[in-house]
This record gives sequence, structure tokens and C-alpha cells, in this order.
Amino acid sequence: MIWVIHILNGVAFGMLLFLLAAGLSLIYGLMKILNLTHGSFYLVGGYIGLSVMRLTGSFALALVVAAIAIAVIGAAIERFFLRRFHLDELPQTLLTFGFLFIFADLSLWIWGGDPIMLTMPQIFQRSVPMGYFSYPIYRLFLIVVGLIIASALWWFQEHTRLGTMLRAGVDDAEIARALGINVSLLFTLIYATGAALAAVGGVLAGPVLSLYPGADFDTLILAFVVVIVGGLGSLRGALAGALLVGLLDDFGKAFFPEFALFTVFVPMAFILVVRPTGLFGRR
Amino acid sequence: MTDKNSATAESNANARRARRDALCAIAAVFMLGAPGLPAHAADAIKVGVLLPLSGNFAANGQQTLTGIKMYFDSIHNEVAGHKIDLIVEDTQGKPDVAVTKARKEVERDGAQVLSGIVLSSEALAVNDYSRQAEVPLVLSGDAGVDEITMPGPLANPYLVRVSQNGRTVAAAAAEWAYKTKGWRKVAVLGSDYAGGVNVNYAFAQTFCMLGGKVIQEEWPPLNSLDYGPYLTTLDRSAEALVTFTPGADGLRLGQQYAQFGLKGKMPVLDIYAGIAYEPNLGQLGDAALGVYSSLFYTPMLKTPENEAFVAEFKKRMGSLPANEGPNGWAGAHAIADAVKAVNGDLKDKLKFMAALKAVKFASPKGEIVLDKYGQVIQTMYIREVEKVDGQLANVPIASYPHVDQFWPFTEAEYASYKYSWKEMKGSLTDCGKLLAKK
Repeated sequence: MIWVIHILNGVAFGMLLFLLAAGLSLIYGLMKILNLTHGSFYLVGGYIGLSVMRLTGSFALALVVAAIAIAVIGAAIERFFLRRFHLDELPQTLLTFGFLFIFADLSLWIWGGDPIMLTMPQIFQRSVPMGYFSYPIYRLFLIVVGLIIASALWWFQEHTRLGTMLRAGVDDAEIARALGINVSLLFTLIYATGAALAAVGGVLAGPVLSLYPGADFDTLILAFVVVIVGGLGSLRGALAGALLVGLLDDFGKAFFPEFALFTVFVPMAFILVVRPTGLFGRR
Repeated sequence: MTDKNSATAESNANARRARRDALCAIAAVFMLGAPGLPAHAADAIKVGVLLPLSGNFAANGQQTLTGIKMYFDSIHNEVAGHKIDLIVEDTQGKPDVAVTKARKEVERDGAQVLSGIVLSSEALAVNDYSRQAEVPLVLSGDAGVDEITMPGPLANPYLVRVSQNGRTVAAAAAEWAYKTKGWRKVAVLGSDYAGGVNVNYAFAQTFCMLGGKVIQEEWPPLNSLDYGPYLTTLDRSAEALVTFTPGADGLRLGQQYAQFGLKGKMPVLDIYAGIAYEPNLGQLGDAALGVYSSLFYTPMLKTPENEAFVAEFKKRMGSLPANEGPNGWAGAHAIADAVKAVNGDLKDKLKFMAALKAVKFASPKGEIVLDKYGQVIQTMYIREVEKVDGQLANVPIASYPHVDQFWPFTEAEYASYKYSWKEMKGSLTDCGKLLAKK
């Protein structure tokens, strides 16, 4: 029974990581932007969800509004700022780093410094008994949602026109442009989508991990580990990396608690040695 | 050509001079501005407040500051005919910034006494500065490092602390767990940093001395997102789970403890109330019901000082105070009383320190007196989360009055133990080592 709990736990955490890593990975794959603002999209998305829930009490609405709001903010950042430094990695990274700080201070100002836990929908507020312990239904819900979003993203990438353009853009943006694909619009769309995914992650994580100043940095680091393990620019890699990191983190903390601080980083270092581009990364 | 050149050069030089004069004038205005303000500012008492007002500990800083201001406002910012000037600086929760800001307040703004400070790392850094520059320091924030007020290398004649220290809150928890609850075997779970080890060590040491035993210790890192792995590996023969998890960790642990079905099976004793922190209660809802916690304060105390404090605090902050507000308030009260005792003359600093150590007053926390090292002696409370008028609240169920920094040991007993908390992480289950004498 304990094993079932640990596996479920690792997968549920992995699904949250996937939502963050998917956007991070797509954005890097297409635009070669190391998007440090991703942590803010997660945290501010969660906070916007919080405000919506306080106003309306609806978790579903919180998810939708947070995703849309962060998508708009993301699109604006891409259009008006990042675009000016296309393929210029250092200024881009610094810019996204700067935004990370700005959003951190803004959130502190608007939502305060106390850790806040989002209220989960009534139907998920129970646990299923499992031996001596029990398991929260909400985490099972996270696994289901994660799987749905992962399949939707995969379907989008493999079976839609936009997805094809995305793959073309990832392979060679210049040639894609020459073929008549509106790469500029594609950039904005993907950046906004990645941001929205992070916001959804923030709202979904809110009832489990809570929102607090600094959550942006904490989750950003984990998301980076996931994309490094999985391989930058690959959706499949993001999913595999997220599940691996989620499970390693859980089992590591449970069975090797002395190494709790680097249960995630040691495997990452090992994978980097064996496969420097990550599990599914391209050379 | 030459003439023209020299003329240009001269006019350039004139322009430069004019610019420089203008700059000097502006600088002069700024420099005169500060001391030239109110006429009686010369004999005002300047209090330098050092608190994290941005970053992860901003909420703690803000609450402490509210407490400080509440007391000074209640005496109209005036003591013995001297106006009180507060100089507030944001330390950002960083020790190096704290020292820089302390220097700025003392050396540029003329602060005569420093106060506040939330993190132990900041406290250690500023303690050093205070000792070296001989500036009185009244710790009134959360900084709980034990050794700073004990005889030893950190001792500082210019320091007093009215907030708390790390070990006493844990010692009271151990006393209550053993004597009132009759627990003999418990598991401890503490955030893995200096404060966590310090506090859980103090619990284990006192618990062993009484006759109990810690049978398991778990150390999740600070900011652990998921407590699932720790909760599911708990030793089920433990009669209770003793925790120390400040900040967002407490909120997550409280919720996940209930979700993983431990509520009702293994009681929780929450040292310092990381779980049962007042801002957490509403969010945890029924998951928090029945959580025991140990602290030197609860807003539910039925004393006139506390009821007035809670009402005013609610008016200012819109929420119930946790422990920080009363600490800030007590620090401000101590400063005001000491200033009064020396008639506003802070030039003889050791005389001022003696006056600080002699203060005695009723505070929202209970009666405040200080020991000869300047550490507060106060009441410890065991609280239980109950529903009061439909709201969750920390109701006091036991109290230990007059707890000094070595309690329940004497100073000599405490000094006779061989190992300090720094060497004991991983050995809290070993009563022999915990109680080994020098």
C-alpha cells in the first residue's frame, strides 16, 4: 500500500511539473528563449486564480481566467519586449529575469506575504482510505488533468496545422518563414500558450503546494531540472522528465531522507553526464 | 584661432564652474535638510528599526512593525518630553543588508538604539555591529538563536531581547507532552535548518531529561512542497508527532497531515505554531481542529492588555495578531520605559542598558521581565485549535509562567551538557548523547 501511495504521489507531483516544463520547453524549442519569467507566470496565475475564487467561489472559472489573463500578459511581454532581442540570448535571459523580480514584488504588494492555500472544489476535499493512511482525491484529480493536458498538447503538436507549423518553426525558423509561415505570430502564440500552461499549473498546485512569495523561484528551479532531464524543446521529454523527477523526489525523500535536498539534482547530474542533451533532446 | 580657442576653453571652464556650484548648492540643501527639520529634533530619541519588509519574511516584518508603531502611537510618540523618531529600514531578510542598514541608521541618521530583526542570521550580524559600535540593540522580532543571550563568545552587553529564544518554547512543549499528556514515545519532524535543529534538539533534550524518548526524527528541507513522503514513513508506534515547520511549510504540512489520514490517529504538537499560525487557521479549516501548539502568546488571552491590543491590531491590519505584533509592542515598551528611567539621556549607554534590563511591565503576552543577560522571562502557553463563535482559534489550555532562557534547567545544569544542538542533528533519538555531561 505504501508503494502505491508513493507512486501516486510522485506521478501527481510530476504532472504539476509537466505543466510548467511543457511551456518552458516549447518556448525554448521554438524561440531559444530561456524564459525565467515562467516562475512568475506560475505564481501570478495562482494568485489571479485566488482572487477569482474569492470573488466567485468557482475553481473552474479560476482556472480559465488565470490562463487567459496570463496568456495576455505573456503575449504582451513577447510582443513588446522579447521580440526586440530575437536570438540574442543574454539580453533575453536578463529581461525575463528582470520580469521575474518585478512580478515577485508586484505580487507581494497586491496579495501580501502570508502563504495562501487555494480552496479546492468541495468534491475533491476527501481522501480514499489506503491501509493505515489515506490518499487525497485531489491528487488523483491532478493526475487525470495532467494526462488530459498532455494528450491534448500531443494531439495539437502532431495533428493540427498550427502544430505542424510549430514543428517546422522548431526545426528551422528561417526556412519556415521562407515557406510562408507567419513565424512572428507563431512566436507570440506559443509564448502565450506556455505562459497559460504555467498559470494553470499555479492554480492547480494552489490547493496542494500553496502560494507564497518565493514560490516562483522554487518551482522555476524544478521546472528547469525537468527540461534538462527530459531535453529542451521536446514535449515528450518534458513529460518523461516530469514523471521521473516527481517519482525520484518522492522515493528519494521517503527512503533516503538524508539526501532530501538533492534527490532531484544528483539524477540530473548523472543524466547530463550520460546524455548531455537530456533524455529526448536533439543534438 | 588661438584667441577663439582660449575663449572657448574659458567659457567651458565657466560653464563647468557654474555646474559645479549648482551641484554644491543642491548638495548643501540636501545635507542641511536632514538635521534642520523640526526645532526640537535635536533632543528627539531616534530609534532605528530593522525589519524585512520585502521578500519571504515581509509578513513577519510588517506585523512586528505594526506592534512597534502601536505602542509608540499609544504614548503619542513622546517619552519624558522627548519625541520618538522611528527610522525604519528594510533588511530584505539578508544579514549583510541588515548590517549596512544598521550602520546607515546609526552613523548617518543618528539612531541611538536599534530594534526589530526577524532572522537569526540577521540578528547575529547586527549583534556583532552593536557590540563593536556600542549601540544598544533591543531584539523584538522572531530571531531566536539561543546563544546570543547566553554567556559565551556571542555575549553582548549592548543587547536585550524581549521576543523569545528558540529553546524555551520547545522545552514547554516537552514538559506538557510528558507530564500532562503522558506521552513517552514521540516522532519529531523539523524543517532542516539551524532554527529547526535548535528547536527540536531543545524538545528532545527536555523530553529525555523527563524520561521520554524521541523514536524517530525527520528533517524535510525548508520549502518542502510535498510532505507525503515524510508522513507515510512515520513510525506508527509514536504516540504523537512533534513538529517545527515555519512559514508556508506549516500550512502545507497541516493540510497534508489531514489529507493523508493521520488526523485522529496521531496527535500533533506544533512547536512555535507553524501549522496553527493565525493566518493559516482559516485556510486549513477543520483540518486544523485539535492541533496542539506551544508558544508564548495567543490572541485568545483574556487580559485587559491583550484584549485592547487585539482590538487595535485588528483595526490596523484587518486580521488577528500572531506572535510578531506583541513582540514588537513589547520591544517598543521596553525602549520607552528605559528612556524614561534615564530621563532621555542616552549618552551613558551602559546605564541605559541597565535601565533596559530592569524594565517590568504587563504586555499582551503577559508580564515581561528580563534576566541579567537581557533575555526575556515570560509565560509559555500550550494552545489547542478549537472553534470559538464559529471561528478557529488557538485556545490556551495550559500555561507555564516565568520561563527563563534555561528553563526547566538551571543555568549551571544547562551549561553542564556536553553537546550543543549543532552536533545533534541525527542523534535526537539517543537520550544518552543528549544528556551526556561534560
